Amino acid sequence: MLKVENLHASVGDKEILRGINLEVKAGEVHAIMGPNGSGKSTLASVLAGNEKFTVTEGKVEYMGEDLLTLPIEERSRKGLFLGFQYPVEIPGVTMANFMKLAVNEHRKAKGLAPLTAAEYLRLMREKSAIVELDSKLTARSVNEGFSGGEKKKNEIFQMAMLEPKLAILDETDSGLDIDALRIVATGVTRLKREDNATVVITHYQRLLDYIVPDYVHVLYKGRIIYSGDKSLALKLEKEGYDWLINDYKEE
Amino acid sequence: MQQLFNTLGCATLSSSRLLTGRYIATAECSEHLVVEADASVELILHNIEGELRIDLERGAKLRLVRLTIQSDCNSMLRVTLNDSAECYATDVLLSASAVGLDIKLEGQHSHVDVGGVFLVSGEERASVTADVAHRTEDTTSRIKYKGVASGLSRGEFSGLVYVAPGAQHTDSEQLSRNVAIGKARINTKPQLEIYADDVRCSHGATVGQLDEQAVLYMRQRGLSLEMAQRLQIEGFVSDVVLHSAIEECRDELVEVLNEKLQTL
Repeated sequence: MLKVENLHASVGDKEILRGINLEVKAGEVHAIMGPNGSGKSTLASVLAGNEKFTVTEGKVEYMGEDLLTLPIEERSRKGLFLGFQYPVEIPGVTMANFMKLAVNEHRKAKGLAPLTAAEYLRLMREKSAIVELDSKLTARSVNEGFSGGEKKKNEIFQMAMLEPKLAILDETDSGLDIDALRIVATGVTRLKREDNATVVITHYQRLLDYIVPDYVHVLYKGRIIYSGDKSLALKLEKEGYDWLINDYKEE
Repeated sequence: MQQLFNTLGCATLSSSRLLTGRYIATAECSEHLVVEADASVELILHNIEGELRIDLERGAKLRLVRLTIQSDCNSMLRVTLNDSAECYATDVLLSASAVGLDIKLEGQHSHVDVGGVFLVSGEERASVTADVAHRTEDTTSRIKYKGVASGLSRGEFSGLVYVAPGAQHTDSEQLSRNVAIGKARINTKPQLEIYADDVRCSHGATVGQLDEQAVLYMRQRGLSLEMAQRLQIEGFVSDVVLHSAIEECRDELVEVLNEKLQTL
């Protein structure tokens, strides 16, 4: 589904990604961990198509296509979803209105007719239940005045609405109390299917108690320096990153 | 829009003394009207030109919508409020025109509340003036204008809040918030002139750009750049028309606003 080869990316003169290799297949859950400033969020942004970053080398294949030539909205319509670490507030634009446009753009890209008002309401009700999102929030402006937990639930709600093939969740667990974390993680797990994949970017192991990854990768200074199965996350939780980083330095 | 005004079943302006009811005016409209004491009048002004004077007698209530869609529709509205009179206005300017509002709070406990918006695109030039004079004690004013300019257009807002000597307990808020897209420019000039010492006056003015983070966020959900920008602007200005002083005008105002948004 996703094949990243030797990906280098910079912002301004500063190189942040320095040769990422990653392959994600349908049905898999990958976790990307690593200390602050290692490039985790940059990787998510570059894959999503944020134009702030320049890809200087390497390639990314997504569903058999060259991902890097597609603008951000095209990537979205082809099923790539980014859950933002800091969801943006959009005053005056209601969630319901925003998502209706988004869902219909996705449908248009698939050659489907827009949803009727009734169909759309039904879809919204059904999907907001997945993350226990208060239905009143959909009548409010996007993320405006939402609590930290509501913002993150709202990201997963949008993911549920858009049914992505590949979801990249950037620190969706940060700033969540344990209840919100459980709800968000359960939502993600319920959306998991054989034909989609999830990449979870996280700083903490605790999210991985709920979303069990098939692979865990450690990102450090713009490279994936170690990959393993879910036991790696536990070891990182206990022992920190130092042992890995020291190994890496000795190489 | 014309359609709406014709179907509301209201009279066009004719007499200069207005009793409770709904009135409309279109085109050239230089008159001097009086809203009778304690009457409640709704007034819809559609592409008017010229100078319209309205006096509100004691306790009169005026709800007003001025919509300017045609170019070169320059109009000035002068409203005088006597004791306990109230004026609620929605001012929507969507063309290369100059519109003005001149409010005089002459009577105690009089109150004015204006929500306005102007949108210009292409090479249009538009200007709005909104002056309020608090001429006696215990009067309140709320003035809020939002402006958006795109393309090579220019928008201008100028607003003066004047508090006369002795006009104690004046309570006034004036706000001008603007978004200039690309090469477009908006100048805003909010002014305060205060000659009384026991007053509460606030004013603010901003000229900003579109929020790039918000545009990026919306594009990540599948909206095109243009859709995302338009939605953001719609979100920025829509509260003005959603709180239309005359509720029945709301849907039509939303519609003409959306039509204009397509041209940005």
